[in-house]
Amino acid sequence: MKTRNECREWRELLGAYALGHLEGDERAGLEAHLDGCAGCREELAALAPVARMLPHADPARFGPAPQPPPELGQRISATIAAEKRGMETRRRRRLLGGFAGGGVAAAAVAAVLLLFVFGGDGQGPRQVVRFANLPEGISIDAALEPHAYGTEIHMYVHGVPSGTLCTVWLRGPKGVSYPAGTFRYRWGNDSDAVLSSALDLSRTRAVVVDTGRRTFVAPVSSPVAALDIAHEEEPT
Amino acid sequence: MIPLTMGTSTRGALSRERDVREAYAAHSGELYGFAVRSLGDSGLAEEAVQETFVRAWRAGDRFDPKIGSLRTWLFAILRNVVIDLGRARAVRPTVAEGGIEPAVEPLDEALRAWQMEEAMRRIGEDHRRVLVETYYRGRPYAEVAAELGVPEGTVKSRVYYGLRALRVVLEEMGYED
Repeated sequence: MKTRNECREWRELLGAYALGHLEGDERAGLEAHLDGCAGCREELAALAPVARMLPHADPARFGPAPQPPPELGQRISATIAAEKRGMETRRRRRLLGGFAGGGVAAAAVAAVLLLFVFGGDGQGPRQVVRFANLPEGISIDAALEPHAYGTEIHMYVHGVPSGTLCTVWLRGPKGVSYPAGTFRYRWGNDSDAVLSSALDLSRTRAVVVDTGRRTFVAPVSSPVAALDIAHEEEPT
Repeated sequence: MIPLTMGTSTRGALSRERDVREAYAAHSGELYGFAVRSLGDSGLAEEAVQETFVRAWRAGDRFDPKIGSLRTWLFAILRNVVIDLGRARAVRPTVAEGGIEPAVEPLDEALRAWQMEEAMRRIGEDHRRVLVETYYRGRPYAEVAAELGVPEGTVKSRVYYGLRALRVVLEEMGYED
C-alpha cells in the first residue's frame, strides 16, 4: 500500500510522462511506481486520451473565441417569424383549398364556407371566409381575427387585373359599413393584405370587397361553422 | 465524429420562438466558434448558425431531451449545415466538373480541433501556459521554469493539473474517449 504523499509526488509527474517528456531516473522511478500502484495507473489512463487530443489543437487559436455579431440573434428571430407567417398563410390556403375541392356542388348554389381556426394572435378564434360564386378565374378569401380595437382582416384576392384597387368594408348588424382600407392586387405577389376595421368581429355580418368593376359580399353570420348563401352585388 | 452527449440540457421542444431565443442565448457562441473554425469565414459562419436555428425551429417537435441534450442536437444540425455549405461551395465553377464530395473527415477533425481549443480557453492561464511552452513549443522544462521563476517540479505538476483540468472541461463539453 502506497502512502498518499508518495503517490502525490509520482502523480504530479504523470502529466509530463503522458506527454512523453519524462526521461532517465525520473521515468524509471515512475514506471516502477506504476507497476505497483493501480491508483496511479488509473490516473494515467484517464490522462492518456487528453494527451492524444492535444495534437489536434492549433495553439494559435487559444485566444478569445470569435463571437457572433450582436444582430445575428435578431436576424434569426426575424427569419423564423417571417417563415411562421408564411406557414400560417399556406395552412389557411390548404384549409380553404380542401373545402373548395369538394365543394363544387356547393359553389353551384353560391355557398360560402366559414371556418374557425384557433391559434391566431388575436383575442379569439379566427374566422376564415370564402367568397363563393365568383367569376371564372377570380378567387377571394378573407381571414378575420378579433382584437380589442376591432377586427383584423387578411385579404387574398387572385385573378383580377394586376394593379386593381380593392376597397374593403366590414358590414355591421344594421347594414352600416365600416371601412377597413384599400390595397392593390399585383400579379406574382402571393402575400395577403392585412387590413383592420373598428367593427368588432362579433358584430360583423358581412365582408364587402369592391374591385372597382364589381362588388363582392360574403356574409359572416354566426360564430359557428356554417353554410350560408352568398350574395353578389352589382357595382355600387 | 466525437459524440457531444453532455452539456447544457433544455427540456421541451424548440417549436416556440421563445425557446429558440433561449437556445440561441445558451449555445450560439459555441456554435458560431465551431462554424468559424470549420468554414474559415465569419460571413459563412453566420449563415450556418442562422440556418442551424431555423432548421432546429422547423424540426422543434422532433427534439427529444430524453435522447440527448439540446446542445448535442444543435451541433448535429450545424454539422449538416456545414456539410451543405461545403457542398454548395464545391459546385462553384472554380471546382473541376464531376463534383467533389465534401470529405466528412476534415469536418470531424475540425470539430475535434475546435473542442480542444475551446477546452484550452477554459482552463487556467498558468496551466495553459506550461502546456503551450512545453508541449506545443517543445521547450525544455528547465528553461520554462527559469522563465516563469518557479522550480522545474512546479512546471511538471502544472502540466499534470493542466491535463486534469482539460479532462474535466472536455467531459463537460460532452467529449467521450
